[in-house]
Amino acid sequence: MDTTLFLMGNEAIAYGAARAGAGFACAYPGTPSTEIIETAAGLGGIHAEWCVNEKVALETAVGCSRAGVRTLVAMKHVGLNVAADPLLTLTETGVNGGLVIVSSDDPGMNSSQNEQDSRHYARFAKIPMLEPSDSQEAYDFVAEAFALSEEFDTPVLLRSSTKLSHGRGQVVQRERIEPERIDYVKDITKHLMVPQWARLRTRFIIERLERLRERAEESSLNALIEGAADFGIISSGVVHQYAREAFPEAWHLKLGLSYPLPYHKIAELYERVPKVFVVEELDPFIEDHVRMLGLPVIGKEAIPADGELEPDVVFAALQPYLDAEPPQRRSPLFPPAPRLSDPAPESELPVRPPVLCPGCRHRSVFTALRRHKLAAMGDIGCYMLGADPPLNALDSSLCMGASIGMMAGFNQALGRKAAAAVIGDSTFFHSGITALISASYNEADGLVMILDNRTTAMTGHQGHPGSGVRPDLTEGPAVTIQELCDGIHVRCTTIDAKDYEAIVDAIKTEVATPGLGVIVAEAPCALLVREKNGTVLVDDERCNLCGLCLAIGCPAIAPQADTVSITDACTGCGLCVEVCKRGALTLSLGEEAS
Amino acid sequence: MSTASDTTTVALIGVGGQGILLAASILAEAASAEGLEVKASEVHGMAQRGGSVLSTVRFGAKVFSPVFRHPDYVLATELLEGFRGLDMLREGGTLVCAATTRILPGSVLRREEPYPEDLAAAAEVRGVRLLAVDAEGLAREAGTVRAVNVALMGATSTVMPFAAESWQRGLERAVPAKILAVNEKAFVLGRDSVVTPA
Repeated sequence: MDTTLFLMGNEAIAYGAARAGAGFACAYPGTPSTEIIETAAGLGGIHAEWCVNEKVALETAVGCSRAGVRTLVAMKHVGLNVAADPLLTLTETGVNGGLVIVSSDDPGMNSSQNEQDSRHYARFAKIPMLEPSDSQEAYDFVAEAFALSEEFDTPVLLRSSTKLSHGRGQVVQRERIEPERIDYVKDITKHLMVPQWARLRTRFIIERLERLRERAEESSLNALIEGAADFGIISSGVVHQYAREAFPEAWHLKLGLSYPLPYHKIAELYERVPKVFVVEELDPFIEDHVRMLGLPVIGKEAIPADGELEPDVVFAALQPYLDAEPPQRRSPLFPPAPRLSDPAPESELPVRPPVLCPGCRHRSVFTALRRHKLAAMGDIGCYMLGADPPLNALDSSLCMGASIGMMAGFNQALGRKAAAAVIGDSTFFHSGITALISASYNEADGLVMILDNRTTAMTGHQGHPGSGVRPDLTEGPAVTIQELCDGIHVRCTTIDAKDYEAIVDAIKTEVATPGLGVIVAEAPCALLVREKNGTVLVDDERCNLCGLCLAIGCPAIAPQADTVSITDACTGCGLCVEVCKRGALTLSLGEEAS
Repeated sequence: MSTASDTTTVALIGVGGQGILLAASILAEAASAEGLEVKASEVHGMAQRGGSVLSTVRFGAKVFSPVFRHPDYVLATELLEGFRGLDMLREGGTLVCAATTRILPGSVLRREEPYPEDLAAAAEVRGVRLLAVDAEGLAREAGTVRAVNVALMGATSTVMPFAAESWQRGLERAVPAKILAVNEKAFVLGRDSVVTPA
């Protein structure tokens, strides 16, 4: 049976994803990338979703990848700008199941507001980039991209452009790959990007890029094609087909794995021919690298730097240079591997990390949430401090607003309520709302904990739409999260974060209820209230140092030899009293500490 | 690279909430009152959540960089941070430390690691001049334990070549009027607690 199909590049990418064993694909529609998800939705084995924007799409994809599923996320070039925030930290965390980001550029602005060259994002994020040049390669490269993603622990950029995405060609289907489902393992040093861990990952990605460069040198995706003429052409993507057609007699260096660039393969072309051209649409991306090697090249002085190319455009552009004297040859200057900063000298002194404040009632949420076996997708802000010992209550942190999309993707991939999101009110207004709307629309499963202190606490208590407070301290209308959730058909419970039992019950109920639910836990920031409600007294006879009160991570509780003591920092919030099972702690109201 | 001959670098370290940034402002204003160029740098973000806080003030006839890795002076508003300051100081530098103030970090509270004890011995090993100040006692005497930072600044004034009027101007410009009087008192108590300026 002939299994050859005649596919648009975008369709080929979707078929390629199915063939590579992808379980999830998502996007926000955008020309020329839209057909990828439309096609994927009709292929067996892939769950396809529209997300409300590209940032949420990438975050949802990250959640799926964390859960161990191969995931493809697609967008147009300007969408990659929207997704840049999670992308630039995703490069640090790496992946679990393979993660491929398709960005489709639109040279000539057939249907776009700009004609940015997305290849710069590969360099910016230090991730590998694949550029298929026709539908068959679009199909084949997806599997290559997933394999690279998992081998090198990196997201992979698969860059398309209008003429590839919307061009058609024959595609020979290959045997389906059945990737192994990779189990999720909690590892905050890899998944929770606070400075302490992110610094280590930065070193990792610099080294990863050097290993990828070695791979680019060996990879069959980067092919030196012998010619009869005395000149060579370096190109990538669909532009390679134009150059090949315009100059079939030339030597061609075809870059399929086009970032990081294979310097030695480029140098090899210079050993074969006295004259080299770079033919590329939009920016001199390859050309800049060749020039950096100290090699003379004809590029953007001949090839237009705007609009789309075509074979005859390429032919006409290079004609005047063919008979000219070749530029002077020089041997390449290979850049050395980058130096990493000197590691900080070892100190034996105890470190002093920031902690959740004494009296912060949002601590109750972490204490209650920890009772359930849920992966906790954290977010940016004070509440990231819940990740530190002894709370150890968070699994990840990627970028502003990422928790909800990641939760939705993770639960989708595993088919059950396996993850919760933990996000502050200000971060929720920043970019959690869009992800919640996306999750509602896609009927995601999950529990979203919104820790509402009605301010932007971490940066020094600025106002936001939930408080209505503006920079000049005038007040505008305040958005109520409960009403917002009602409006987007999300079940929402608002509770007082000072009521520990209510939090425990609300979480228990939500975990047992199918579908998406939000719990808003309200309590003002302890730094703003600064009230001393009282203090806690310890009954040394009853205390057996079981550790339950220590586990809430309050800096005002200190273990002694066989009991605990309460320091001056105690605000008398009483959470430790509620978690104590031996009645050893009592709240003494109204006591003023010295 | 050594310190540019006429530029002095002072690092102020402490625990979030201790008023490190206020102390740095007083110093910067005092140096400014001396007619010197001043540059400063501070790390924000986690400042109020009990983490270590670092602020740097540099002054001289001409100052280029706002930061410098090995300061001439370290002012520490807490004992453990004083130990940390020893690691930063240049050889022969001066540490002014609120040596009776102890704020235990979580790992110490949980008894996972010990709190360091003998600062004088550690300073001697490193050839560092140490000014150990009971800033907490002095602040309490002035009327508020929150003035540890300013009492320490008073002690520091004895080892810096600024006129008394410059310090006064620094206090007036940096400290909110509502709490100026108590801080002026803490400053004077700190200054007078140093018997023999080293």
